[in-house]
Amino acid sequence: MVKLIQQFVSCCRVAGLRISTAETLDCLNQLQLIEVTNELQFRSALRANFAKSMREVNQFDRLYYLFFHEMRVDPADVLQSAALAEQIRQLTDIVKKKPHDNPMFDAVVDFIAGNPQALLKEMRRIQTASDFEVQPTRFNFGPLADRVNILMQITSTTAAIAQLLQDSSLDVSSSARSDLALHFNERFNAARSILLYEPRPGDENTKKVKAYEQRLKDLGERPFSSFTLQELEEMREAIDKLVRKLKNSVSRRFAVKHRGNLDVKKTIRSAARYGGVPVEIKYRSKPLRRSRIVTLCDVSGSVWAAARFMLNLLYSLQECFDKVNSFVFIDDLTDVTAVFEENEINEAIKFVLEEADVNYNAATDYGVTLRHFERDYMDLLTKKTTLIIVGDGRSNYMHPEDAILGKMRDRCRRVIWLNPEPEQIWGTGDSEIRTYMQHCHEVRQCGNVNQLIAFIEELVL
Amino acid sequence: MDFKSVNDVQMRLEKAGYIPSKEISTVVFLAAATQKPVLVEGPAGVGKTELAKAIARSLDRELIRLQCYEGLDEAKALYEWEYAKQLLYTQMVKDRINDIISHTATLAEAVDRIADQEDAFFSERFIQARPLLQAISSAKPVVLLLDEVDKSDPEFEAFLLELLSDFQVTIPELGTRKAISIPFVLLTSNNYRDMSDALKRRCVHLYIDYPQRETELQIVRLKIPGIEEKLAAVLVDAIRRIRLLDLKKSPSISETLDWAQSLLALQINELTPEVISETLNVICKYQIDMEKVRKNISKII
Repeated sequence: MVKLIQQFVSCCRVAGLRISTAETLDCLNQLQLIEVTNELQFRSALRANFAKSMREVNQFDRLYYLFFHEMRVDPADVLQSAALAEQIRQLTDIVKKKPHDNPMFDAVVDFIAGNPQALLKEMRRIQTASDFEVQPTRFNFGPLADRVNILMQITSTTAAIAQLLQDSSLDVSSSARSDLALHFNERFNAARSILLYEPRPGDENTKKVKAYEQRLKDLGERPFSSFTLQELEEMREAIDKLVRKLKNSVSRRFAVKHRGNLDVKKTIRSAARYGGVPVEIKYRSKPLRRSRIVTLCDVSGSVWAAARFMLNLLYSLQECFDKVNSFVFIDDLTDVTAVFEENEINEAIKFVLEEADVNYNAATDYGVTLRHFERDYMDLLTKKTTLIIVGDGRSNYMHPEDAILGKMRDRCRRVIWLNPEPEQIWGTGDSEIRTYMQHCHEVRQCGNVNQLIAFIEELVL
Repeated sequence: MDFKSVNDVQMRLEKAGYIPSKEISTVVFLAAATQKPVLVEGPAGVGKTELAKAIARSLDRELIRLQCYEGLDEAKALYEWEYAKQLLYTQMVKDRINDIISHTATLAEAVDRIADQEDAFFSERFIQARPLLQAISSAKPVVLLLDEVDKSDPEFEAFLLELLSDFQVTIPELGTRKAISIPFVLLTSNNYRDMSDALKRRCVHLYIDYPQRETELQIVRLKIPGIEEKLAAVLVDAIRRIRLLDLKKSPSISETLDWAQSLLALQINELTPEVISETLNVICKYQIDMEKVRKNISKII
């Protein structure tokens, strides 16, 4: 029994399951407690010890079936099957001695002889190969060729065995011969099924998370302007999720930190009221950093593609922080805080882009916008405020009024400028970003989702 | 009261109102026999928490439950010093303390005297036991359920290791406390994140999937006794088909039961497309899922 389990464990290991010695020992101990002859119990015990996460369960089942069903000789008659196993071994030995030059031939013959390790190892290599190699263009030719090689080896082994069985010089009775043929056939089928097997993520839940993250990765590096409508929708959902996740983690963290250790000083002070008896216990508490955010978002034609995204960001931020004032502008400032507060995200963005009091035919003018802000909203900026400006800084050669931005900076904690344009073309043509840059604490390029996500993470955490 | 064999587990869990698959009862038996914790995984609503409750019932043990969440710390999970009580006691025994130090010559000597009494203040009396400490210091063995352990922080997981492998915890002021009786520990996980290998190694793993048709039917009959045989069968079949659709959240057993319950309350005896469509909000938790099911309603019946 120990030997059998050991063999199975080493099979599992080459196929990619991680099984420690301790787990093998546990399993052997546990097998003594159950009826080993009851297959359900036997399998459950093995599975409980060897497949330790949802994802491994499927692979375990496959290996289990392979090892304990396909690779075993029919146990109906123990003596006869032992004899059969012996004959199989002899035959495969003969086949193995044949001259050949392909290492996979050995693996296949071993497999037929009841030792699947080498073949499993090779299959694992093929399946995981594409994960490791980074090729300029991805194609599945390499793994395919490897598979074809194995298939050919299986075919040649089949032929060799068939020939051997035909050989009359072999000392085997005709009934045993047909039995052997049957067994070999089964094992060849098993080998082929392994060849065709593609690993699938087992559980639906894990699969979905993966797919979603994968998609985020694929779309992450693409500029906003190249998204299709549907992808836009998807990304928006993704960002929304992300912001919510961040928000949750922040709130939880504060919730924990909120109540800290015992504050001895305060406790003693309050105890003075009761003649030194500490009736009230005071704990240290960590106040929430109440930050306010003011955002100015350019929604003109030059940043059109990014604007939708940025509005989305604004919306999410508003959900995340308790005090957010949002403005959009082209040649004049429009306060959209209320729109975002009252409407659901899609409607809000649609409203801003179509119905809000914004002159979409005007030419962008940062100067007027800043002047307007100075006139009407300067008191929004306090020492706790983070000012986020989203735009390409292309002001159609009008006066940039960068001095006003300087004044704004003096009033608030941080000024961050997000520019959807790639850094190489900053400051070309009518771009005033270099002028504004000196007044900002931070100017960063934000042209695709990954950059946006990086920004949100830094902002929130 | 311990389980005697796999079949014994099966029988007693059924008696406690839980219908286990063969695999569940085998794993539960093995875990009980080897005193190892069980790590239960599976989609939400397949009865992971219910299993713990049923085990507690069948073993006639108390169930101590610790709901894990991000930010859960030792003070919430293991123990906490009762500062208020300590301070109050200090105040009340002030005179005694004065007595103790009244004959001392120097300050150092006074401190030494007080230090001799330290044990009085850091003792059992002032410890507030949280679920984990309760579980191992209970005289009678208990069933300890760590629910949604994947939601807790990695630090908490590391600290669970000591508890799960040796059934002991270390309280710096008091020393190491060994379990008086070994509890039956279950950890449930929704695969929110992967548990560490070290933790997995210490546990017996159990994956609970959606049940077989027969098992599910049995569960419906057990939990909703008033339901008609025919309706139950149709209902289970419909649910099983809905699970085949690519939904955001597939309905699990708890949804099946909720559905059966609401059909019963509405006194509906037959499952028609209209009925499904109207009661869909019991099964599907997302708008998108509902629409998908409505679109494929012909496949379901």
